[in-house]
Amino acid sequence: MSTDRGPVAEPAPPRAVLSGGTWREIVHLLANLPVDVVAFTFVAAWLYAGVLLAVTVVGLPVLTLGLMGCRQLGKAERARARALLDVHVEEPTPLRHRTHGGVGAWVWATLKDPVAWRYALYATIRLPWGPFTFFVTFVALFLAWPALPWLARWLTHVDRALVRYLLAPSDELERRIAALEAGRAAVTDTASADLRRIERDLHDGAQARLVHLAMNLGIAKENLTHDPHTAARMVDTAHHEIKLALQELRDLARGIHPAILTHRGLGPALQTLTTRCTTPTTLHTDLPHRPAPATESIAYFTISELLQNISKHSHATHAHIELWKTDNRLLIHVTDNGHGGANPHHGTGLTGLTHRLQSVDGLLLIHSPTGGPTTITAELPWRDPD
Amino acid sequence: MEHSVRVIIAEDSVLLREGLTRLLTDRGHEVVAGVGDGEALLKTVRELAAGGALPDVVVADVRMPPSHTDEGLRAAVELRGAFPDLGVLVLSQYVEEQYATELLAGSTSGVGYLLKDRVAEVRDFVDAVVRVARGGTALDPEVVAQLLGRSRKRDVLGVLTPREREVLTLMAEGRTNGAIARRMVVSDGAVEKHISNIFMKLGLAQSDADHRRVLAVLTYLKS
Repeated sequence: MSTDRGPVAEPAPPRAVLSGGTWREIVHLLANLPVDVVAFTFVAAWLYAGVLLAVTVVGLPVLTLGLMGCRQLGKAERARARALLDVHVEEPTPLRHRTHGGVGAWVWATLKDPVAWRYALYATIRLPWGPFTFFVTFVALFLAWPALPWLARWLTHVDRALVRYLLAPSDELERRIAALEAGRAAVTDTASADLRRIERDLHDGAQARLVHLAMNLGIAKENLTHDPHTAARMVDTAHHEIKLALQELRDLARGIHPAILTHRGLGPALQTLTTRCTTPTTLHTDLPHRPAPATESIAYFTISELLQNISKHSHATHAHIELWKTDNRLLIHVTDNGHGGANPHHGTGLTGLTHRLQSVDGLLLIHSPTGGPTTITAELPWRDPD
Repeated sequence: MEHSVRVIIAEDSVLLREGLTRLLTDRGHEVVAGVGDGEALLKTVRELAAGGALPDVVVADVRMPPSHTDEGLRAAVELRGAFPDLGVLVLSQYVEEQYATELLAGSTSGVGYLLKDRVAEVRDFVDAVVRVARGGTALDPEVVAQLLGRSRKRDVLGVLTPREREVLTLMAEGRTNGAIARRMVVSDGAVEKHISNIFMKLGLAQSDADHRRVLAVLTYLKS
């Protein structure tokens, strides 16, 4: 996920003269002259013209178009660095994803787009640097070719640094927004999937039972006078049916939100949960006090899902849950002695769980070697109740 | 036929309150008051007690206004502390071991904790009300199942025969020997024999009083 934006490491020793990597570096350096001149001309023409014309009507559109072009040039530059210099930096978030509103809002967003302005800075710095590297490389190609690998290495090292520092996503904030957008999408998806599941459970379960019940009572009513025997049997069936419907409704309501979680907090709620789990499970909680209801709820449903996975897939004979608080995080540790091999990439509930935890700035770590045991650690922000 | 008991019903749903009242009065019991929240319940019981007419049993819903959390349970625990002779039967939409533990803290005489659904089995339910009114115990089968399921004594429980386990479960629910015998369709003597076997296998001292027996079993399961 993270891009290499830290202090630049010492470059690796240069490769042999004829290695592909060295040749690509040389090609990059030789291309610097035309590329950088064209890029700088573009930036100068559009941006400086736009800034100068800012007092007139055409100023803003010119500047906006120029900045849009900068974004595209930056993209091309990243592609060139990727192909020739092996530098992989993330693409910045597209602008359109974050602007809602009319043309005005869009123009304004483009005008203050840090990605485009940083490219303008990049192109400006490269005007002296690009041609300089071209000439040095060009001369060395004929006069000092044994030194070329070292030279190419050092010169492209600066190129790499420029790409990393100026063309990477502009700042933490941008990526944070992208992560939050993904998180929000995960939350929305989960919420609507949950609603569909509840609707389906109601439809297939309690509703169907109540219809059957109404039918049986209807028949009983018809038969009440002339066939009391049948009537009694129908009432008996209806009585049985409604008890099942009550049971199903209760299970469903508990699945939506267990009342004990609201009333007594995580400890007692998890205790009940472990009792209902088919795999024998022990529980140890060490919490100084109750966190905010949202924190409790996420922790509860995370553990609930992990326990479901354990009883469905792991063949474990024992599981253990631990829950504790560090500075400002709630930590959950679930281990089982099953056969391991739990993998978030196999479309199990773990993928959804990982996304949901990420959406609240939490995380899920899975350690599940084949043959077991499985240890899953979940971490989420601890919020105190209001 | 059992003699009549005097009941207070605390339940916020008017429909259910009337249903319960009817169910109990039809069977010859007297509903002395019906209230809709925990405060009113405490007030009514205190007034009746002051007038020397403490009812035999209170039937209270856990979740009532204004907080809609566990008002009924808290009122029940308070009443148990203040009026040891008053039976308290708590009804709940969900059965939670934690609530049972709070309710049973100290003693199991004259206390009950049942899932609301149990009112559907009218005879069993009225039996439970009467049992609690007379100082007995009525514990929901689900609570007992939870206790059995999570007991650390699982190894020891494994020594019991299926019949003995069944008897243990019914005993923990607070049923009398006679009731257990009827339910299992065996003689009273057979039940007594099972019970003495259970107590022997678990290493518990025999006790005559039903509620003390329940307490012994529960303490054993929870330890």
